[in-house]
Amino acid sequence: MTPHVELDNVTKFYDTQERLHALHEVTFDIDQGQFVSIVGPSGCGKSTLLKIMAGLDEPSAGEVRLHGGPVKGPHSKISMVFQAFGLFPWRTVLENAAYGLEMRKIPKRDRNDIAKQYLDMVGLGGYEHMYPKQLSGGMKQRVGIARALAVEPEVVLMDEAFSAIDEVTADILREEVGEIHKETGKTFVLVTHNLSEALELSDKVVVLSARPAKVKKIFDVALERPRDRTHTLFVHMHKNILHLLKEELESTIVRHKLRGISELQSLDDMEGDARDPKKRGTRVAT
Amino acid sequence: MSVEKQKVLPLSLTGRVLTQNTLASYLWIIPLCLGFVLWELVTRLHLVPESNFPTFSAVLTVFMSSMQDPAFLLRIGYSFVNLVCGIVLAFSFALPLAFIAGSKSGMDLTLTPLVMLFGALPDLSFLPLLVLWFGPGSTAAIAMASLVAFFPIFFTVREGTKNIPRDLFHVTTIFKSGRFSTFTKMVLPAISPYMFSGLRLAYDFDWEIIIAIEIATQVAGIGSFIQGTVSAGSLETGLAGILGIGVVAVLVDRIFFGTLDSWARKWV
Repeated sequence: MTPHVELDNVTKFYDTQERLHALHEVTFDIDQGQFVSIVGPSGCGKSTLLKIMAGLDEPSAGEVRLHGGPVKGPHSKISMVFQAFGLFPWRTVLENAAYGLEMRKIPKRDRNDIAKQYLDMVGLGGYEHMYPKQLSGGMKQRVGIARALAVEPEVVLMDEAFSAIDEVTADILREEVGEIHKETGKTFVLVTHNLSEALELSDKVVVLSARPAKVKKIFDVALERPRDRTHTLFVHMHKNILHLLKEELESTIVRHKLRGISELQSLDDMEGDARDPKKRGTRVAT
Repeated sequence: MSVEKQKVLPLSLTGRVLTQNTLASYLWIIPLCLGFVLWELVTRLHLVPESNFPTFSAVLTVFMSSMQDPAFLLRIGYSFVNLVCGIVLAFSFALPLAFIAGSKSGMDLTLTPLVMLFGALPDLSFLPLLVLWFGPGSTAAIAMASLVAFFPIFFTVREGTKNIPRDLFHVTTIFKSGRFSTFTKMVLPAISPYMFSGLRLAYDFDWEIIIAIEIATQVAGIGSFIQGTVSAGSLETGLAGILGIGVVAVLVDRIFFGTLDSWARKWV
């Protein structure tokens, strides 16, 4: 059986002045109905990876496959939840939740019915006619989740979906997303920097290395749900991942430091040259 | 903001805010009336030479009778139509250009300095040329009005386009909105508060420019009417003309821009 989603040697370069190598041959599989978290040191390119999975960005090499078929551009079976919610402030909660359906040319009455159903699911029944500015962060993200689910995708991508929300609200929302995952059986992919969050929700945690991001290690979280954060295995895995990430982060810091030192040295050389009349003389002569 | 709190007191809250707003939105009439009273007093007490300063009541009387005079209304209407044509023309050029400048940094670097260069030149200095090309008529007035209206619309829309969060473009892409839907359902509403400010500024600037053109070139309209009546010594009639512009300006402001504002205020 082919896995639901396959990442096959996904590589990404950005052609700026300095060629930026963001992702290097990232390869892993996601099974149908799995909840997978992607963690990695900050700035490693995990959001880029998610964007490629969403079809918002193209890989420089390799490909993402859904049911064995390559994902090229936005896919009707892949939906996304954004860190900063990405709601249209001029639309009411209902109109926001129904946006994806509207783009699929579903008649207004039908799409409103479907959107309402999903708003009820995320606990926003009764708030349909409010505008985003009247909602708290957690509620805004609920609208974002309802909008993503309303198009009935197979895969829901979440980009740091809980990190712009206060901790207590985020905790409640995480539980609810866990329940939605269980109820709907959809495949979820969450990019996060919050390790507890990843371990609490996921069947699988993919740890990426520092830039260029490679798969450093994959953890299978075989713990009963709801997860107990004090469980020895939970604590152990948390510690392991944290250790890996720290290692990665330190390696980048060392790299930066080394580069910094070499830059300082070359600066020093140049200044030395400028101060030394003999050297300056030779340079002019040559 | 706590939504729960809002839910408990929706009616009383909006009710109270509404009455406060309605009251506050009419407060500006008080200082205006005080100004008129002061005007009346100063002229009645002959603190200023009577021949150069008619009383407010005299102006008001002329104004009331002018409002029933089709020729007078036609002159205001004529200026107003020129102004609206100028804004519409400017808008149809400025909106797409500003959108391109705001969304493509390469185009911004090419386009915006040019627009700024023209913006820095005093627009009225082009008037003799426009009159030479189009003759002293409403074509020159409309061309001038659109030139003036172009800059506020261009710069506000460009700014608005730059301020659209990237996420919103991602949302339209994820849900496969075509170019047209992306523009009408996302870009236009997103830039609308900026666009409204631009239009309002353009409207303000254009009244000035339209009147100036009419005075300078004697194009039919309320500006040339004011010029004609004042130089003929009928100050009351001239001032009644200015009052007429004021009434139209306030009405358009309240009805047109007020509606746009109250829509934007619901969600901004």
